[in-house]
Amino acid sequence: MDYFFFIDLIQSTVDGLLFGTTYALIGIGFTLIFGVMRKLNLAYGAAALAGTYIGLVIYLMFDAHPALVFLASAIGSGAIGLIVYLCCFRFTPSDYPMASLLASVGMLLFIDEVVIHASHGLPYPYPSVFRDAIIEVGDVWVRGDLLFVFFMCVVAMAVLFWLLYRTPLGLATRAVSQQPRAAQLCGIDVTRVNMMTFGIAGILGGVAGAMTAAAVGVLSPVIAMGLTVKGLIVVVIGGLGSIPGAIIGGLLVGAAENIFLLLRGVTERDIYVMLLLFIFLTLRPGGLFGNAQTRD
Amino acid sequence: MKLSTLITSSVLALAAAPALAQDKTINIAGFGASSGVVGIFGQNSGAAMAAAVEKINAEGGVTLADGSKAMIVTEYYDDRCNAEEGISVLRRIASTDALVAVGPTCSNVAEPLFGILQAKVDDAGDTGLQFPVFTDVAIKGGLAGISEWVFRNTPSEATMYDNLFAWIRETNPDAKTIYGGVEEDFAHSRFTWYSVMKTAAEAHGFEVVGEAQWLLNDTNFSNQARGMRRAEPDVVAISAHPFTTCGMLREMARQRVEPKVLVGLTSSSSLETLTGCANEAEGIIIPTSFAPVNDAAQEAADAVAAKGGALDLHSASAWENIMILRDVIEAAGVEGTAASLEEDRRKIRDGLAALTEVNGLLGANKRMPDGEAVKPYVFVDAENGKWEVLHNPGS
Repeated sequence: MDYFFFIDLIQSTVDGLLFGTTYALIGIGFTLIFGVMRKLNLAYGAAALAGTYIGLVIYLMFDAHPALVFLASAIGSGAIGLIVYLCCFRFTPSDYPMASLLASVGMLLFIDEVVIHASHGLPYPYPSVFRDAIIEVGDVWVRGDLLFVFFMCVVAMAVLFWLLYRTPLGLATRAVSQQPRAAQLCGIDVTRVNMMTFGIAGILGGVAGAMTAAAVGVLSPVIAMGLTVKGLIVVVIGGLGSIPGAIIGGLLVGAAENIFLLLRGVTERDIYVMLLLFIFLTLRPGGLFGNAQTRD
Repeated sequence: MKLSTLITSSVLALAAAPALAQDKTINIAGFGASSGVVGIFGQNSGAAMAAAVEKINAEGGVTLADGSKAMIVTEYYDDRCNAEEGISVLRRIASTDALVAVGPTCSNVAEPLFGILQAKVDDAGDTGLQFPVFTDVAIKGGLAGISEWVFRNTPSEATMYDNLFAWIRETNPDAKTIYGGVEEDFAHSRFTWYSVMKTAAEAHGFEVVGEAQWLLNDTNFSNQARGMRRAEPDVVAISAHPFTTCGMLREMARQRVEPKVLVGLTSSSSLETLTGCANEAEGIIIPTSFAPVNDAAQEAADAVAAKGGALDLHSASAWENIMILRDVIEAAGVEGTAASLEEDRRKIRDGLAALTEVNGLLGANKRMPDGEAVKPYVFVDAENGKWEVLHNPGS
């Protein structure tokens, strides 16, 4: 192993871990919704992207500060998350899981098309912070903007944990997640909890979308599919319904992607990431942190 | 019938005759990607076709075989840059009264789509579709050879890049090495780097010191840019579409990759690149077969802008195609009736095949026997958020 290869390996791992936090956030969004409703929202990545575009509009129209753009992206994505809930989950029969799943697929395509039509498919510059900042540790460069992305994602996760474990809303959410009927009998408004979950997951998705666009410096509709696919891989690896699993899964996928890119090239990179997914589905279908716990 | 009634009827009939002629229409269909992530190409082509048709119709339309005038009508069909949809769209167009189709946008659609057309005209054993297609955008080289019903008005990238690298060699004699960056999963980008840019660069004495690959949906380019930084190339050539071109350029700037010369893909000499990353794209040199360098080109650009589109090297071809088809329709004696539909399509095919030179927006376009074109071109570079002509090899 020569020196440059060793440096490349470290560099790829560092970049992958930092960027992997955006995957982790998307994974958390998927897993949060699944944890509470036991349903997959496949429109989640597209809603996150659409929210990011709301931030972009603010940026283009008012030349707004990046902080405001990120905030608008997160709130916009949260609002779209609520719309997705109302359109695809609220009124679909709960005893036919396929109904909401397919409705969310339809919503994914719908949101995607709306974004493409509105943007004409053009890439637009998206504000980033610390874009040119580099921390040099020997021959390894740590990107300032990726560190910021990492920091933002960690903050978002910390806020989520605080919400879930330190507030009455979190208590209600966990109660609905574990025993929805019992929670209802205790007077918890399940519909409200579901809505809040979609809103919070949407905000996390908006942060992930904003951070992805900020890391690239450009926003394009092509990002949506990547967010959806990576998010799903993350939850399978981490364990559907497990928030720590989504975090570890996101970091793992981010690092694996970069290392496979280094070792096998771009054309084979995704093959190995998909192979990882296949291995988990076959040998450990519950993922790293999934549990077999059932609910009523 | 009374004489007065007969005279009145005759006068009315005579008065109505030109109006009836004016009602005649010639249908030229357009098709390509007008939705999806490359939808802007089709939208621009559709606007260019509509603007060209409006100009022709304002000048009186086209003259048919019987001397009457007909207006051109056009409709743009969306294939979403998908091969199966492209084939389906072309079959649908062929079932209408359209005489010819202009399109498609994507080379990955063009290649299989041309395969469903009859390969050789008058080959009774070949039951392929007999319908003329005049391509404006799909630029991957050599595709017209697939069928004699296919004609293309796309620039020859091989010629353009060959001359570009010759010019770079001349203007930057101390530049010795080149590093390529390619969007590996897009037919045009791939073909242009491996078969066009790389070949041309090597032919002019540049040593290829590395290649970086990425995919259309990629968002992280740090590994690729690191390889570039280490190789310290004099020239970097990026064969990718605007989204990843912008991503890569940003990463290069971040990692301080500063080549003496930066070369881009023909399709990136568009508004998209400037919208996405004008600062990072500053100085990138791209050969293109369109720039508003003369009155006709500027007038066409304005007309297309009025239709909500932008004229670039691709949509300019759509404009030119309509103008060329007008001349072919008039020269070939197209009748424009329902009964003559098949015959008229064949006349257009033969008319296009017989062309050796046509007028384009930048000057004379040579029509080659294999259905391809050799078009005039210029080298543009991004300067202060605009594409400026850097060098005009024809001047």
